[in-house]
Formats: sequence, C-alpha cells, structure tokens
Amino acid sequence: MTARAALARFAFSFLAAGVAATAAHAADFDWKKFQGKTVTFLANNNPVSQALLAHKADFEKLTGITLKVDSYQEQQMRQRLVTVMNAHSDEVDVFMSLPSREGQQFAAAGWYADVSAMTKNEVAPDYDFAGLSQALLKAATYDGKLTSLPMNIEGPILYYRTDVFKKCGVGEPKTIADVEAAAKKIKACDNVLTPFVSRGLKPAVAYTFSNMLHNIGGSYIVDGKSALCSAKDKEALDTYSRLLRDYGPPGVVNYSFYQISALYRSGRAAMAFESSNELRTVMEGGERLKDTALIPFPAGEAGQVPTAIGWGMAVSAYSKQPDAAWYFVQWATSPAVQKLMAVQGIAPPRSSVASDPDYRKWIEEEPVRKQWQAALDVLAAKGSSEVGYPIVANPESREFIGQAVQDLILKQKSVDQACADADRALDALISQK
Amino acid sequence: MAAVESVAMGDGADAAGEGRQRLELAALSAPAVLFTVGMIAFPLVYTVWLSFQSFSSTGKQSFVGLANYAKLISDNEFWHGLWVTLALYVLSLALQLVLGVWLALVLFHARRLSGVVRTLFISPFMMPPVVAGMMWLVILDPSLGAANYILTSFGLPPSDWLASPTWVIPTVALIDSWQWTPYVALIVLGGLQSLPPSVYEAAQIDGASAFKTFQRITLPLLLPTIVTATILRSVDLLRFFDIIYITTQGGPGNASNTLNIYGFRVGFEFFNIGYSSALMLTLTAIVFGAVLAFNRLRGAVAW
Repeated sequence: MTARAALARFAFSFLAAGVAATAAHAADFDWKKFQGKTVTFLANNNPVSQALLAHKADFEKLTGITLKVDSYQEQQMRQRLVTVMNAHSDEVDVFMSLPSREGQQFAAAGWYADVSAMTKNEVAPDYDFAGLSQALLKAATYDGKLTSLPMNIEGPILYYRTDVFKKCGVGEPKTIADVEAAAKKIKACDNVLTPFVSRGLKPAVAYTFSNMLHNIGGSYIVDGKSALCSAKDKEALDTYSRLLRDYGPPGVVNYSFYQISALYRSGRAAMAFESSNELRTVMEGGERLKDTALIPFPAGEAGQVPTAIGWGMAVSAYSKQPDAAWYFVQWATSPAVQKLMAVQGIAPPRSSVASDPDYRKWIEEEPVRKQWQAALDVLAAKGSSEVGYPIVANPESREFIGQAVQDLILKQKSVDQACADADRALDALISQK
Repeated sequence: MAAVESVAMGDGADAAGEGRQRLELAALSAPAVLFTVGMIAFPLVYTVWLSFQSFSSTGKQSFVGLANYAKLISDNEFWHGLWVTLALYVLSLALQLVLGVWLALVLFHARRLSGVVRTLFISPFMMPPVVAGMMWLVILDPSLGAANYILTSFGLPPSDWLASPTWVIPTVALIDSWQWTPYVALIVLGGLQSLPPSVYEAAQIDGASAFKTFQRITLPLLLPTIVTATILRSVDLLRFFDIIYITTQGGPGNASNTLNIYGFRVGFEFFNIGYSSALMLTLTAIVFGAVLAFNRLRGAVAW
C-alpha cells in the first residue's frame, strides 16, 4: 500500500467513525432537554432577525425554552454588547455578530464561546452542519475555534434601471469602465436622474469600496503595511470617489443604505450599488419590480471578487447555559428555519435551501428575484469577506478608508495626499496590539 | 441661682434633643443620600478610574496613569472636536436666546392667542430628538428634500446642507434652534409675567418709547431669567449629541465631530474605553466650568 493510499484509508475510517459518532449523538438528541430554561438573545433589529423572530413561538413550543429577545438597532446593539461583555455579565446568552467586522476583535477579547464541539456532539439529525456555507464558516473561525454560525449571506450588488439603459442606449455593464461610461451617457441623456449612487457615509464606505478594490486587484495590506498608496489602491480610491463625485447625488457623503434605497426606489437613480439585503426595501410598492436588473458588481482588472458576508449567531463566552443557548443557535440556523426565512427575502447560507422547491417557486415568481439569486450564487462562489482591514481594529480601519474617499469626493485632498494620510493612520492601527 | 441652674440644665437637655434630632434627620435622609452617591458619585469615580486605564483593541486592560490625558494634548481630533463643540455652542446659543426672547415677547403681548397656537409654538421641544433629526434629515436631503425644492422654486441655488463641510455646523445649529427656541421662550415668558407692572407705569408716565422701555427696563429685569435659560441650554449644547448622531454621525469627514460624538465613537465603536473616559471627563469639566461661570453671572445680575 502506498503512503497516499494508506492516508486515504486512514482518512476514510476516521470519517466513518465520525459519521457513526454523529449518528449516535443524533439518535439521542432531545429538543426538550433544556425545557423550562430562559435564553436571552441580543438581536440587531434588521430584516434578518425580523424574519427569524417571526417564528419565535415555534422555537419555544419545540424546546420548552423561553426566549427573551433584546432587540436594538445595529449600533445600539453593539453598544449594549460592549457594556455587557466588559462586565463579564451572563445577561446575554446569544448575540448577533458580523464576523467580517468585529470577528477578530471579539475573538481576541474572548467574547465568543467556541461552538465547534457542539456542532458535532449536540446536533439534531437533520441539522446538516456540512450544508452551511463553508466560506462563511471559515470567516467565523479564529485559531481553530468556530465563533458563530451564519444566518444569511449578503453583499453589495448593482441594481440598475433597464428602461433608462434602453432609453439612453446603454448595455449591461461588464466592467467598471462600462459603469462609468454608462453613467456618463445617462447624465447626458437624462439630466434629472442620478446616474450612479453608492455609499459615501464615512463608516459605511468600506462595505462597497472593498468590492471595487478587490475587483481592481488592490489589497489593503502588503508586507504588513497599509497599501492605499499602491497603484491599484489609488486607482480604486480615485475611481470610487470620481463615480460618486461626477455622477452621484448631491450630499452623497451622508449616504448609506437608507438614503440609497430611498433614492433608487423613488426612481431617481439609474444605478445603485447597494446590499443584496435591500431587495425587499427597494421593491416595496412594486414600482421598481419590472424595470430593475441585478448583477454582481462588474469586473475590474482582477475580475469579479464580490464582497460576501453574513450575520452570525454567537454564544456568549460568559453565558451560564451555553448548551441551552446552542439549542437556540442550532434551531435558528437549521435548514427548516432558514427555508422559512428565505421566502421572506433573507438569502440562505445553505445551498440545500437555495435549491429547495418552495424557495425556487418563490424565486421564479419574479425575474428580478431570479437575478438576485444568480448574483448571490456568484457571491457565494467567489466572495471575499474582507470589508476593511483584516486586523483586530477593523471597525476603526473603516473610518480611515471612508475619510480618504470623502476627502476625494469633496475635493479636499489629492489622491496622493488622501492615501498617504490614510496609510499613516492605518499603519499605526496595524501595529497596535 | 436655682434659676440659672435650671436654665443650664435646660440647655443640656436641648443639646441632647438637638443631637437626637440631627441623628434622626441623618437617618431619614440616608437612603436619598446613598442613592444620590450611588447614582452620581460612583459612575463618576468609576469613569475617573477608567480614564487611567488603557484598553487594547482586544479588551486587555492596563494601568497607564495620565497617559490618556497626555494623548489628548497631541490628538488633533480632540482639538478639532473642541472647536466644533464651541462653534456649535456659540452659534446655537446666540440663535436660541435672541429668537427665544423675541418669541416670548410676541407671546406675552398677544393676549388673545388661542391655546392651540400656544401649544403649536412650544411643540418642537416635546418631540424626541430622534424624530426631529429624522424629519430634518428628510427635509434637508439635497436631492429628495423639501428644502432645496423650495430654494430652487424661488430661483435660489440649492444647498448641500448637512453634506457640506462648510454648512453642516450652521445647519445643525438651525435644527437645534428650531427645536429648543420655544423652550427658551417659555422660560423667558415666565420671567416676563413676573415683572412688576409699576416700573412700566412709571416709564409710561415719563413718556419712554417702546424700544427704550425694552432696552432700559425689560432686558435688565429679564437678565436673571435669561442667564437661567443660558445655563440650561449650555449644559445640553456643550454635550451636543443626538441630532448629530442621527443626521451626520460627525461627518462629512469630521466636520461635525463634537467632543461628545468623538468620545462615544472612541469608546463604543473602537472599544478604547480608557481614552474615551478621559475625553468625556474633559468634556464634563468644561460643562461644569461653564455652569459655575454662569452661576456667578446670575449672582451679579440678580435684582
């Protein structure tokens, strides 16, 4: 037997043993094990948690666990979490978290419980852990510890008006240069419409900007140093800010998802580069249902490297009942529940749900939903979860990216000056421990 | 002699009674004192202690003494924040005092104003700041908002309002003044109603003009009330937070990054609780200093 065959055989027997063990555990899995307990869930009041919590009663009925929900807007939720965690309080058992933003930071601070063992030993037979998006699971794993389980998959995509494109004689943009050319043509052909809109609000810029940076082939860090002044990064900074300055709405430096969706929905923008999660908001009222097409952001020199992230559900390291908390996480990220959420427009982080007949039926109802799913498939396959610098101080790094972009939109600095100022601040952040 | 003795004894008994009474008073007020200490002194002392600590991004804590305060001095964003805070303070306070006194005079002299109109006048400050902020955010939106629509329909050029680094401070000051001028007016109206009518009658007999009456009688007599309003507004304005947080989050760039917004973001978004505490204590000292100064001024203008 060759070494390789021996290895393969060993791996197979290991796998078989693992499967047998899982099966044994699954057989004695009892949803009612923690009956009578109360689990506290700190939720971000966004469409993801809303879709989930619509089925709260099902969870309580299934497990006999009382679910106490503390729901806040995103920033307030994080503020409460910081307070609770700094006090090492057991007040919160389960919380929502964005691994791409705070994962590294919270993991280093020791706020996440490691749920790796639970996903193997304490799972219902139909949980299908392996069916969850591997990329998102990887993005939530730090030092071999799994810190959260994905609730959805999302990322910025390009919404554009097919009727306006037709009227102005513009085809579907295939490259970033096409986007700019289309914006230019639309500006000339319809002077009321905003040709292109994307995020300009300082802390929000990194979400969409990262996608463009990666498409162009830039990197945030090269050899341990901030690289915003590298040729590719400068090109990304310049292109992103130029698109918003020349073709964006006035006051775009205060624009985040809220303003962008409102502008696009009201029919006043021809292209909007915004989160896939905004589909429901954008389509509210149905005015944009028939004249909108959706695609992943067009390619740059490095092709398409879309941003794909997901909200995760984490068990607090200070929870006194991590096992009961895990039951809630498991229920919320199970195929059955994610299917229920999917038909409410929450893109599932499981391919099995994405191919489920009921979900397919919902998708087929509208062409725009089909395009939405197709764009999400690209995100799932090629996506990068890098939004801002891959460092512990990621949230703060987004400030400096945003500042550089705003300086350029407002013409307060040259590209060289803006990138140099940002690099200096970011190098200090990178060296921070 | 006996009388003297009895008086002396009476004194002793009185002293004992007084002591007991004091003890009783202390015991009765103890819960309130303890509550106050718990609610005010403890958080303050805790913040002071936090301001001597450094928190790394990973939440590791270490004692750094006065390093956080030393960092303030070399932190450009701190000085910028201080400037923004003071600019916004001076502009908003001036607007609110001038318009507030004017509104109070209008309300005072309009004796036949209906209850509905009076309620409308004072309604803005009853509105939660979040609602006011969201409302103005929509009105001032450069492309969708009503403000630019009105400007352009009169042939005036549109403004970027909250999105312009130059105009963001005046715009925020306008929003805050819209909300809080009626509050100042209400305080001043109270002051106007308590002014003695005799001095006005005397002025009338002497044939003083309306402007002279205002300048020489109403305004000096109103000063203590105006200073009270100034103190109340100063405490809020120096800690300016809510409307900026809703509308610009300190932007565009850092054009509206007040000390309070900066401190909040350093603490709750970047998790540097130590430095954030130092920033907040500095702000507290500024607010406290302003209140003390105005309190002295109130003493000086009292009549």
